[in-house]
Amino acid sequence: MAELICRNIKKRYKDKEVLHGIDLTLEEGKIYGLIGRNGVGKTTLLSILAAHNPATEGEITLNGEQVWENQNALDHICFSRELNPLSNNGMSGTVKEYLMAASVYFPHWDKDYADRLVKEFDLDIKKKLIKVSKGMLSMVTIIIALASKAKFTMMDEPVAGLDVFMREKFYQLLLEEYTQTGRTFVVSTHIIDEASSVLEEVIVMKEGNIILKENTEELLGRCVHVSGKIEDVDRATEGLTARHTEIVGRSKGVTVFLKEGEQVNTSYDVSVQPVTLQKVFVALCGEENDG
Amino acid sequence: MNEILTQEKSIYLQISEMIENDILRDILLEEERVPSTNELAKLYAINPATAAKGINLLVDQNILYKKRGIGMFVTAGAKERIRMKRKEEFYDNYIRTLIEEARSLGISKEDLVKMINDYEEK
Repeated sequence: MAELICRNIKKRYKDKEVLHGIDLTLEEGKIYGLIGRNGVGKTTLLSILAAHNPATEGEITLNGEQVWENQNALDHICFSRELNPLSNNGMSGTVKEYLMAASVYFPHWDKDYADRLVKEFDLDIKKKLIKVSKGMLSMVTIIIALASKAKFTMMDEPVAGLDVFMREKFYQLLLEEYTQTGRTFVVSTHIIDEASSVLEEVIVMKEGNIILKENTEELLGRCVHVSGKIEDVDRATEGLTARHTEIVGRSKGVTVFLKEGEQVNTSYDVSVQPVTLQKVFVALCGEENDG
Repeated sequence: MNEILTQEKSIYLQISEMIENDILRDILLEEERVPSTNELAKLYAINPATAAKGINLLVDQNILYKKRGIGMFVTAGAKERIRMKRKEEFYDNYIRTLIEEARSLGISKEDLVKMINDYEEK
């Protein structure tokens, strides 16, 4: 089983450290979700994992081999970055030319698959990249990621700019490719609840660190929302990890992270409800207002 | 397999309940093939590992069985087994909640029994 491992990855831009020593192991054959607020270092981490960008410290290995400047390893890694017309990097040509460049760059490129995806998305490949809509730029990045056929494929906000139909289509195409090939995908997104059921594991970043990496189902299975009268909620959750407290009048709601063997004490009159991944994320990464 | 997923429960539990419901409603018949893990993954846009967890739950309860190289099938007698299992769970899932809610509203046991009797008379 192939593994992409990073050890103690730090990244500094001038005086500012944006990644503070990331340790991460990505196993082959999983779909990972990378979530975090804007500016926490998701894109930086993905670009470093794919050696598009050097780390200031630390190392990245694929099956024990250094990834940096190692074509053997890089042949199996694809990072499809977000296309931004404002940055204008290599965006002077048409969609067709951009895909052509990708076909040269990625040794396992599947042209038939790329053509099929162009049809699925109804993309006009004769158009200039700077002339196409934001949604269409996302489709281009998705086609590159999928058709690259790289064993480890990183996608930076692939659904940004896509409408709800295209987002559903994307997740279907992703699952189809995944079930047929068992490739590894790392997908960053801000539309968390839509992605949640697709992600086998979720990686949460906060301020340049990974604060959580866990199986999505298990994570959701151990998180609950507890609400009721303030005193009852306090007693029912005594000794438990409760975050993201919200108080309205006499009523209180908290998101509780249960550890192995822990339970909410339901002998008090409180409501215990399941939570969505988005709610868990907000509880982990939102402003803490109970000190 | 046309029910929709909700946020109320783990997805793998919902997958196994949907298959059970389809068996109870004769949408899936005994000794018939059920959708594969990958088919379920695509249909519901869920991770195949989650779909597999839901299927395996039913295999453990002898409601589905695996035919090597062909797929998952509904076991003979699965419908009756699901019915028995749901009867056993009826007390926990319905009666207990009913009594607890009635108690918090101050409805006496007698009133509760009367309501049930009255409903049957309709």
